[in-house]
Amino acid sequence: MTAIRTDGLTKRFGDLTAVSGLDLEIEEGEVFGFLGPNGAGKSTTINMLLDFTRPTAGSATVLGYDAQAASDEISQRVGILPEGFSVYDRLTGRKHIEFAIETKGADQSPDDLLARVGLSPEDGDRAAGGYSKGMRQRLATGMALAGDPDLLIMDEPSTGLDPTGINEMQDLVRAEAERGTTVFFSSHILEHVEAVCDRVGILRAGELIALDTIEGLRASVGGGATMTVTAANTLDGVVDAVAAIDGVSNVTATGHRLEAFVERPAAKPLVVTTVADAGVELTDLRIEETSLESMFTTLIEGDDAPATTLAGDVESAPDRRVANAGGDE
Amino acid sequence: MTGHTLTVAKKDFADAGRSKLLWSIIGLLVGLSALGYIIVWATGEDIAAGEMLGFLAIPLGVLVPIAALIGGYMAIVGERRSGSLKLLLGLPPNRADVVFGKLLGRAAVIGLAVVLSFAVALVLSVVLFGGAPIVDLASLGALSVLYGFAFVGLAVGVSAGVASRGRAMALTVGTFMIFFAFWELLTAGVYYFAHDGFPPAQPETWYLFAQQLNPLQSFAYAASTLVESQVFPVMFRFNLDQTFAAPADRVAGDTPFFLQEWFGALLLLVWVVVPVAIGYYRFEKADL
Repeated sequence: MTAIRTDGLTKRFGDLTAVSGLDLEIEEGEVFGFLGPNGAGKSTTINMLLDFTRPTAGSATVLGYDAQAASDEISQRVGILPEGFSVYDRLTGRKHIEFAIETKGADQSPDDLLARVGLSPEDGDRAAGGYSKGMRQRLATGMALAGDPDLLIMDEPSTGLDPTGINEMQDLVRAEAERGTTVFFSSHILEHVEAVCDRVGILRAGELIALDTIEGLRASVGGGATMTVTAANTLDGVVDAVAAIDGVSNVTATGHRLEAFVERPAAKPLVVTTVADAGVELTDLRIEETSLESMFTTLIEGDDAPATTLAGDVESAPDRRVANAGGDE
Repeated sequence: MTGHTLTVAKKDFADAGRSKLLWSIIGLLVGLSALGYIIVWATGEDIAAGEMLGFLAIPLGVLVPIAALIGGYMAIVGERRSGSLKLLLGLPPNRADVVFGKLLGRAAVIGLAVVLSFAVALVLSVVLFGGAPIVDLASLGALSVLYGFAFVGLAVGVSAGVASRGRAMALTVGTFMIFFAFWELLTAGVYYFAHDGFPPAQPETWYLFAQQLNPLQSFAYAASTLVESQVFPVMFRFNLDQTFAAPADRVAGDTPFFLQEWFGALLLLVWVVVPVAIGYYRFEKADL
């Protein structure tokens, strides 16, 4: 069954299109990471799934229920960690959890739920107004877990958490996934998504620009690397020979420098031998591998790069792993 | 509305019960009622316990609306601005549960405040004036609770219908000021242009009905029928209308039902229903 489905989901605020024609389908049991920079439309999308905001066009279903017409059925079965929420300062942590359990009609122990999100019974006795940002995030997560929801929707769950808290949050997501819960969560940090997600969607300026598994994204980046060859003589003469190598593309030469994009690792030594065979004296060689992180950074910062041209669009990545293959810089 | 309305109301009451602001308002209401009794008693005037109720009704006429408006205007918009509304709506309660649960919760708080004031008045009446007119006290108490509900309704309705704290405050304060300071100017002003003169002792019926619609006035006139002394509405007077009598006493012949005091008391409910209906409609459509 489909946990979340959106069809041409669109939201405009005046002239601004926050979400544009979003088509998504998330299967039951999946852990889905919704990635994108701040302002990409992630929260707006989630708000439409939860009926906090109404779409301008298109529609969405959650657990098979229409997000607008049947929002009561949805909130009964879904656990929600909203973005930009605040707690009831005067009520204790336990009261928050108890309220969530009561509205979900569940029969759970508040202390168990507190413990699952790393809050002690003593924490539960304190007014939530005195909680740190991380504790508030945990408390809201505990509320989301009330009633053992079939689907968890978490908007930027790592906000305000320290590295330990982020790890615990990831453990919690994994544990929920093992129980069969579908998890949909958004983040602007790839690392947080990469660690737990089966599949990711990348949103930029309201449009879905990539939708794949982590492995799939990695494969599209592949063993791709940019090679820069520097020589004592001009390299203009070898461009055609290098470009002819299988798995090499985008070859450009400017005087003593030649750049080539290498998709296949095995092509790398061929580039070197081809240049050497042409009688050119090599002085330096740099290989810059493309990481998933740099691909993500490129994607969300780049121009209108559709998902299919990922591999060819990595040269401007600012966060490349640099492998010096000899010589000085 | 679902079964969650009461859950929201209970939580709101519990939350409001920890609010220092609301306790200050309750304290003010109870304290001023007590103070009124003590001051009159201290002057040594020979006043019957029954007449004292009239002294109680006059300050309540202003304090109850203020307490209810302060206690209610942030009920929903406050949560909308802070973000706790997302936490609440992310759970099974829906928007209707929030509006009506908040209405019930805040009405309970104001109801409690009024009941406490009357309980204190009851005790002081017995202690200082040697007796308590239980029936009068209870009926004035019930009317005051209804009066409080009118302003809770107005405040919660406004709170549901607007997106910012400033707008909620402007609308509630503005509406109260119209009732308190400008009602006579507005109604007698329209009367002047419509009928070539300010309202006489026996004016047109619509004008008298307009007085019934001002909760400050309908409360005072209804209170007058419940206690032994005349209760005047605490309002800003422009003296455009120089007659102070209740609408029911300003008609020749039989008083139509809609100008009678009991109907004025019933009209207090208009201020629950209309603002809440408008506020709910707007809240239901809003992007939060």
